[in-house]
Amino acid sequence: MPNRRSSDPAGVSAAARKIVVAGGFGVGKTTFIGAVSEITPLTTEERMTEASVPTDSLEGVESKNTTTVALDFGRITFDSGLELFLFGTPGQPRFLPIWDRLSYGAIGAVILVDTRRLGTSFAAVDHFEKRRLPFVVAINEFDDAERYSESEIRHALSLDADVPVISCDARRDYSAGWVLITLVEHALTTPLVLDVHP
Amino acid sequence: MTASPDAPADGNAWSVVDNLRVRPYAVAGGRTRSRHSDALRLETVLEPGTGQPPDQLLPEAQHIIALCATRRRSIAELAGTLGQPVPVVQILVSDLLDTETLLIPASVFTEDRASLEAVLVGLKKKWGHAES
Repeated sequence: MPNRRSSDPAGVSAAARKIVVAGGFGVGKTTFIGAVSEITPLTTEERMTEASVPTDSLEGVESKNTTTVALDFGRITFDSGLELFLFGTPGQPRFLPIWDRLSYGAIGAVILVDTRRLGTSFAAVDHFEKRRLPFVVAINEFDDAERYSESEIRHALSLDADVPVISCDARRDYSAGWVLITLVEHALTTPLVLDVHP
Repeated sequence: MTASPDAPADGNAWSVVDNLRVRPYAVAGGRTRSRHSDALRLETVLEPGTGQPPDQLLPEAQHIIALCATRRRSIAELAGTLGQPVPVVQILVSDLLDTETLLIPASVFTEDRASLEAVLVGLKKKWGHAES
């Protein structure tokens, strides 16, 4: 049954990979992760140093800001022992350093989109395109949201033709799981880009 | 300790503003940065080591040891379960690495195609029949 023990004595079975789930506030990242994770999604806070915004203030000591970023974490352990970590990160561009840190070595990213607030996804699309990290756009179908065609979404987000766009119900494990499958398949067809270390 | 170590420690503690400033600082013994910060990424996993834990462990550190005893755990998972910010957990883990109470297993993270394919196989086994 363990299907991946042969090649490497230390075991690919002991390996871990990660996927980033990005999206704006309230778009369903925690729900999405919760649907597929074997543990209740955990929320934690990471600290990030923000470049100081030049102001004429007298708050000298506060000119170097650290801000906390809420992150969601989930995991899936496969029969082989291989683990998949899921990191949910907020979508605002100011959290870019966190995306960079999390993206490094990641399989790719799921950009979770709410069609009522498409604009909140621009930054994520831009970022992962630039980093050449494989990503898929998953439209979380909120009940009261207007339905748009795939091509409308594709156009609105100016997506490259090869970027998968899929609808999902982030509450359902099979639906969220399908998004992950689509991402990994997409990553397998994307030529590996040797990233510079952060 | 009666509860399972997996039970999140008062998950919403950090929405309480009063706690926000004081407690992490106290747990971390006044430190703001760990010696192993660079090695301890969010996805870094920890396993039990052979070293004895230091004396007078904080409950948070005991909790970390208990969690890692049952399976390897990532920094993100430890922080989420403990309800502590990541930098605090990095500092606590750092101390436990110094005493070799915990260790970072070699080469857990891979970027090779084989592991990618293995992830796909695993995902398809769980959810591959959803559509298609």
